[in-house]
Amino acid sequence: MRINVTVNGIAYEKDVLENKTLLRFLREDLGLTGTKEGCGAGECGACTVFFDGKTVNSCMVLAVEANEGTVETIEGESTGGMLSALQEAFDRHHAVQCGFCTAGMIMSARELIHHTPHPTVEQIQEGLEGNFCRCTGYEQIIEAILDVTGGYTAKEELIHV
Amino acid sequence: MYENNDPSTLAYVGKSVLRKDTNEKLTGTATYVSDMVLPGMLYAQVKKSPHARARIVKVDTSKAKALAGVRAVLVGDDLDYRIGLYIVDKNILAKGEVRHYGEAVAAVAATSLEIARKAVDLIDVEYEVMQPVLNHMDALKADAVLVHPDLGSYEFIEAAFTPVPKTNIANWTKLRKGDVEAGFAEAAYVVEREYDNPSVQHVPMETHVAIVKWGARDKITIWSSAQSPFTVRNLFCHTFALPLGNVRVIVPAVGGGFGGKAGIHLEPLVACLSQKAGGLPVKLQASREEEFSLLPCRSALTYRIKTGVAQDGKIIAQKMEMFWDAGAYADYAVNVTRASGYSASGPYEIPNAWVDAYTVYTNKPYGTAYRGFGHVEFHWGIERHMELVARTIGMDPLEFRRRNTLHPGSITLTGEKITSHTGDVVACMEAVARSIGYGKLTAAEKNRELVTGRKIGKGIALLQKAPAMPSNTATAAVIKMNSDGSVTVNIGLTEIGQGSTTALAQIVAERLGFDIGNVHVMVDKDTDSDPYDWQTVASKGLIMSGNACILACEDLLRKGYAVASHVLKACVEDLAHDGDNVYVRHDTENCIPWKHIAIGYAYPDGKGIGGPLIGVGSYIAQGLSNLDKQTGQGKPALDWTFGAHGIICEVDPVTGEYAVRKVASAFDVGKVVNPSLLRGQIVGGMIQGLGTATCEGYIYDDAGHLLNPSFTDNKIPTARDLPMEIETIVVENSQIDGPYGARGVAEHPMISVAPALGNAIQSAVDADLAHMPIRFEDVWRAMHDKHPIDNWITKTPAGSCRSDPAARIHTPDAAISP
Amino acid sequence: MIHQFSYTAPTELTDLLTLLETAGSGAKLLAGGTDLLVNIRNGLVKPSTVVDVKRIPEAHAIMSDNTKGLRIGWAVTINDILKNSEIASSYQLLQTCAHDLASYQVRNRATVVGNIVNASPCSDMAPALLCLDASIEIASSKAYRTVPVRQFFTGVKRTILEPDEMVIGITIPIQSKGTKGKYRKLKRIQGHDLGIIGVAVAQVGDHLRIGVSSAAPTPVATGALPLDISESEAIAAVDALISPISDVRCTKEYRRFMVSEFTRRLLAEVRS
Repeated sequence: MRINVTVNGIAYEKDVLENKTLLRFLREDLGLTGTKEGCGAGECGACTVFFDGKTVNSCMVLAVEANEGTVETIEGESTGGMLSALQEAFDRHHAVQCGFCTAGMIMSARELIHHTPHPTVEQIQEGLEGNFCRCTGYEQIIEAILDVTGGYTAKEELIHV
Repeated sequence: MYENNDPSTLAYVGKSVLRKDTNEKLTGTATYVSDMVLPGMLYAQVKKSPHARARIVKVDTSKAKALAGVRAVLVGDDLDYRIGLYIVDKNILAKGEVRHYGEAVAAVAATSLEIARKAVDLIDVEYEVMQPVLNHMDALKADAVLVHPDLGSYEFIEAAFTPVPKTNIANWTKLRKGDVEAGFAEAAYVVEREYDNPSVQHVPMETHVAIVKWGARDKITIWSSAQSPFTVRNLFCHTFALPLGNVRVIVPAVGGGFGGKAGIHLEPLVACLSQKAGGLPVKLQASREEEFSLLPCRSALTYRIKTGVAQDGKIIAQKMEMFWDAGAYADYAVNVTRASGYSASGPYEIPNAWVDAYTVYTNKPYGTAYRGFGHVEFHWGIERHMELVARTIGMDPLEFRRRNTLHPGSITLTGEKITSHTGDVVACMEAVARSIGYGKLTAAEKNRELVTGRKIGKGIALLQKAPAMPSNTATAAVIKMNSDGSVTVNIGLTEIGQGSTTALAQIVAERLGFDIGNVHVMVDKDTDSDPYDWQTVASKGLIMSGNACILACEDLLRKGYAVASHVLKACVEDLAHDGDNVYVRHDTENCIPWKHIAIGYAYPDGKGIGGPLIGVGSYIAQGLSNLDKQTGQGKPALDWTFGAHGIICEVDPVTGEYAVRKVASAFDVGKVVNPSLLRGQIVGGMIQGLGTATCEGYIYDDAGHLLNPSFTDNKIPTARDLPMEIETIVVENSQIDGPYGARGVAEHPMISVAPALGNAIQSAVDADLAHMPIRFEDVWRAMHDKHPIDNWITKTPAGSCRSDPAARIHTPDAAISP
Repeated sequence: MIHQFSYTAPTELTDLLTLLETAGSGAKLLAGGTDLLVNIRNGLVKPSTVVDVKRIPEAHAIMSDNTKGLRIGWAVTINDILKNSEIASSYQLLQTCAHDLASYQVRNRATVVGNIVNASPCSDMAPALLCLDASIEIASSKAYRTVPVRQFFTGVKRTILEPDEMVIGITIPIQSKGTKGKYRKLKRIQGHDLGIIGVAVAQVGDHLRIGVSSAAPTPVATGALPLDISESEAIAAVDALISPISDVRCTKEYRRFMVSEFTRRLLAEVRS
């Protein structure tokens, strides 16, 4: 089926098989490999993208459903080579280790901040519930989001005895 | 390589320098093997066994071969290679017999993933299903089914391992120190119990993936999401009888490893498919379900501990029996057994010790390296046991630990002497105990109990680990100066998210005295151009590669000074440098910029001297020795890292539901190189430890089918599963031979979280748990004295999940030995 | 996915119903996809046609009025429920249950109708709908009918729907407006998980209802119970409805115990 979809502001017209997921369409047909597959079953959130303004697990969306729709991925987060405030905060707070969850995590973080501009720690935790990270233990990711939303209080990283 | 640096003089070591590899990861431009597509690349899929044990009667691949787009189909009988890190016991594809649920029986490479999947569906396998042996204690019985009847004929590393042919014992590690029977006879109390852990999965966010191209004249290129490119090359060449020069292993960004990617996994199979397909590159990426059963997991463990204690609470003797359920193949499990064997008692002094640690084959997905290398598993037993012993003799658990922990002058299980710079476990213990207010409840906590109806409990647990590695483990670093005076650093250590790229850049920048912006540590690994590193495991990266980097810096400076002394017409001894220039100390205007000598210096008249400045450093573990196979004595440990966790939990005394309110974690790290990176490792490891403690574990039915091969029922911690409060504490007793005094701490944060939680829950509601994970239902059953359920093999077949029950249960009265 | 299918996205309900009639069981309706696509991926379901139901505007409507109550269209997502202020003020139990369903990304796609059509015994929305006495509007190209939600589930993942029928709406009657209710779902972790058991206790007008998920082949609920029912009688009423099983998540003993315990506690909370 022929689909027209706008991704990160660029309009694409492509032929795609009906059974292809939006995730694989982005990665394979458009070469946007920033979004990752972690489970293919809508559990881990590594494939999170914005679809028509809402975050979704793109492994659970068919590419054909995105016909006439808009998608935003991690590749659209920075502009003109400049990292967004959220990306900068992730960097500052060491919220990235292996990086495989990062794209999905940033998409979910952006969505959270959009509908809850000053989230509490608990709200951040709920907002990121659908994005697994095996490396960081989430704490520094939460701090990055608190920082970019004005809720972060700096404290000593390590207690020395 | 410890220089007694005043911290105020350090420019980078000790600072939270930002990671050097985030730009790509933040923007989605880092390349993982998962993202790679090569010209002409084929996609592989695997046919997997639905049975735990079966004879392969017939495999019909005719329909698969006939499918358009299929370029290669392989079955076990097509391949005559065997693999094994320590015991060569595995075929690339099952041959004649399948030994575990999910084992690869056939494989296909095709022009698209869909065609490959269809082809796999078209392969018909006829099995004769056989009775599997699933429980490791059953596997030890005399009449047990043998997983490897030919164990006696397998090649294996004799110096380290002892398989027992005609049994399911892949390895038997022994340690004998002193006289345990005499010790028990002398003891005032003898306490014995058994503890259990199930298998769990690493769950790296990027599943295992490899691309292999078997080129002309057997020149092979492997791209793999791997922790150990040199091990992949080495084992690959050994398996296929190829010279090392034929094989190139490339590792770009890796989406997590945790030990699961430490060895060799998909690469040989993918290589065979490429060869069969005429040399086209072939890619195989495991699905998440395959990650759980085709790829290996962490061995399960039953740990039986018997401790003899004197009246004053000092441990006199301890007998430790470990039964490791390694699944169908030995892989790393035999070494996990060995490494756990020599560390088996935890950080305590045991004058008379006896360890028998067995690696047992069963018909289940097999165990490989996993963060902690056995230590997460056996510390559950040890730290729950120390608690039991303390209670039995009526002593406060903290005081009991103080009396028995290792301290300077103590002798370890293997006969090694602890010194003042080995590390201080007591300092860690006291720090976490203070942090959680161990031993009492505050007024606010008591009030909270009244308000919520939940009981608050506090527990601590200690830990120790040294790198489990060959005694001659070595690594190297190459530092090349670029023509602008910056340096490029090549090391074989892999960046798997732990931050080695950044920490090593800090060490290089520090030692060279260069601006860290001018130090580029390469992320991508290439065995053709990187210097050798054994493996990125064992928490040895910082200490060993750090030292190698320091040596390489010194070499580079020496070479640079040699050229500069000619140019400046000064003695080498009179020279000094900064990030931009080499200069004469007493005549600083007489100087030469690094960039002018970086790739060879030209005199004003045009004559050239010097050449490209390249510093090389090699570092080998010093003074280690093999362990005596009978006594387990020797010096296996490069460095010991000690630590402790303290946990405050809150338990519903009716339902068994609980929440973790606080975790305080302390480690003696020697020297903090990067506080933010360190906290990332501590919190990340601690949360992974909480996962293994609370909700992770493989569940099988009585035919050996894995019942939870996906995230639906194999849960891991999410952002909502954090303790309310986390405290990360460091002690810094310098490791004299560590870079700037640092020692490793990558695995340690995961160890002993589970028993700290078990101890806390017991303190709250007197639920005495001996098996993991600790689910709400387990707490409920323990509180109400209900029969504990065999969580991990449901509907048990003949034989029990636990060994002789009499060895398991000891009330304080029964514990006193006549 | 391996399995190939054709895809169509009708823009009128009549076209959708005609499609259902002609394609019969070869067609599967695609709303949020969070169940269907998982099932296709796992090879459990192999439709010849996937019919996207989301391109019909009325599918997304949430309508509320003072005579008919609340009506939820067939493509209304869980997050749509959570963001609706009328539901927040008047039918809050729906939000209480919706809140615990999967993760935020899944809630952006999963639909209320999809949740009940999937008819998992673990359905998060079912206890709320049972307590609120919802009606399920069913349409085919030939007829419309309405059934009470308590008749909708007929077995594990089975409903009363015929192959040519679809659910086009869920109605909560005006009598259920203002229902006070609580829901607790037992999970293995704090993060998103299927329910091990789920209990909803609601005070609807002058009576109580208790709904339970994950403890029987279908979600179940008591009938109207007197407001002043004793704790033990309420627990007995619930206990009589459930037939929990042991599975990889839990044993039946713990399930039964926790259903009773949650009932006891939620009853106290609702009545306080």
